[in-house]
Amino acid sequence: MHEMSLASALMDEIINIACDNNVVRIEEIELRIGVLKQVVPEVMEEAFRAASFGTLAEGATLRQIEIPARAFCSRCDREFSPAVNDFLCPTCGEFSTTLLEGDELLLGSLTCVT
Amino acid sequence: MKINVVKNVLQANDIVADKNRRAFQEGQVLAINLISSPGSGKTTLLEKTIPALDEQGPSIVIVGDLQTTRDAERVAGSALQVTQINTGMSCHLYANQIAESLPGLDLDQAAFLFIENVGNLVCPGEFDLGENLKVVLLSIPEGDDKVAKYPTVFRAADLVLLTKIDLLGAFNYDLVRVEEDLRKLNPVAPLLPFSATTGQGMEEWLGWLKEQRGTKVGAQAKFFNA
Ligand SMILES: Nc1nc2c(ncn2[C@@H]2O[C@H](COP(=O)(O)OP(=O)(O)OP(=O)(O)O)[C@@H](O)[C@H]2O)c(=O)[nH]1
Ligand SMILES: [Mg+2]
Ligand SMILES: [Zn+2]
Repeated sequence: MHEMSLASALMDEIINIACDNNVVRIEEIELRIGVLKQVVPEVMEEAFRAASFGTLAEGATLRQIEIPARAFCSRCDREFSPAVNDFLCPTCGEFSTTLLEGDELLLGSLTCVT
Repeated sequence: MKINVVKNVLQANDIVADKNRRAFQEGQVLAINLISSPGSGKTTLLEKTIPALDEQGPSIVIVGDLQTTRDAERVAGSALQVTQINTGMSCHLYANQIAESLPGLDLDQAAFLFIENVGNLVCPGEFDLGENLKVVLLSIPEGDDKVAKYPTVFRAADLVLLTKIDLLGAFNYDLVRVEEDLRKLNPVAPLLPFSATTGQGMEEWLGWLKEQRGTKVGAQAKFFNA
């Protein structure tokens, strides 16, 4: 359900960049999404269709690239892949682990016509 | 043409949130973002908290709601000021909406700013408003499985209030499970059982607010230890 909020924030970014670069039409958008964002690709696609309707990104391809989650336990000095709802170190059970990647929502690139 | 961007999609919101944070710091107010599902007890918490907090200084309230001004009316009597933001179709507040409300608020006259977010356990956790702290309310009737189901907001929480704890006996509820699920996500946020009906947890909650204001705003701040 939060895909709509994220898609409209994405559209704001896209419009700003398009204005700065005299873009007339956008053909492809690369979006890098950490798994911890719990974005459902199909729902994101729908939300993007709705948010881009009537804009210069209407009809563009939304390429969604999933970024896996990686965390680090300093007690074991090793990396692990946390589950969405479990950041405990699987080896020693440590609570205070550090998330390295997997929580981001990045606009990677825009392919466009100027 | 390909434009390489690599930019946080929520950056525009985060920039405004940082501005809000500076305004709160200058005003020496502790800003709290209250997040929960609809009906978990956010407004009731404010109705009880603001009068009890009076000796630590006045409170300002910003209420985000899809429709109606009912919640704002409920706290109008005790708060120094109340602003209502009708979010319409949006299921959360944006930093911008807070920024637009700030010119009308006397932060200089207050010690606390409570922001009651729209009832929703998903989107409000993603949008920074510039608050000092996120307090997540989880009420007993919602069930003991919600922490694992909505991990993002519980990971971001600075305090989890387990509200309506007076109803514990009416539900088949596993408190240990909630604590365990929370620790898998968040090693530090206290889990505080709370009831607006019986007053359980009230003293700890007020103590936590005072302590946090001392830490985040500073013990030299106006009203502090008043
Ligand atoms: N038994 C019990 N009921 C409570 C408690 N706190 C709140 N309630 C009741 O729960 C209902 C919803 O409380 P609100 O404070 O309006 O909840 P809210 O989170 O502000 O709701 P929204 O703004 O609509 O998301 C009301 O009927 C309250 O009386 C509590 O500690 N115990
Ligand atoms: Mg309310
Ligand atoms: Zn470990």
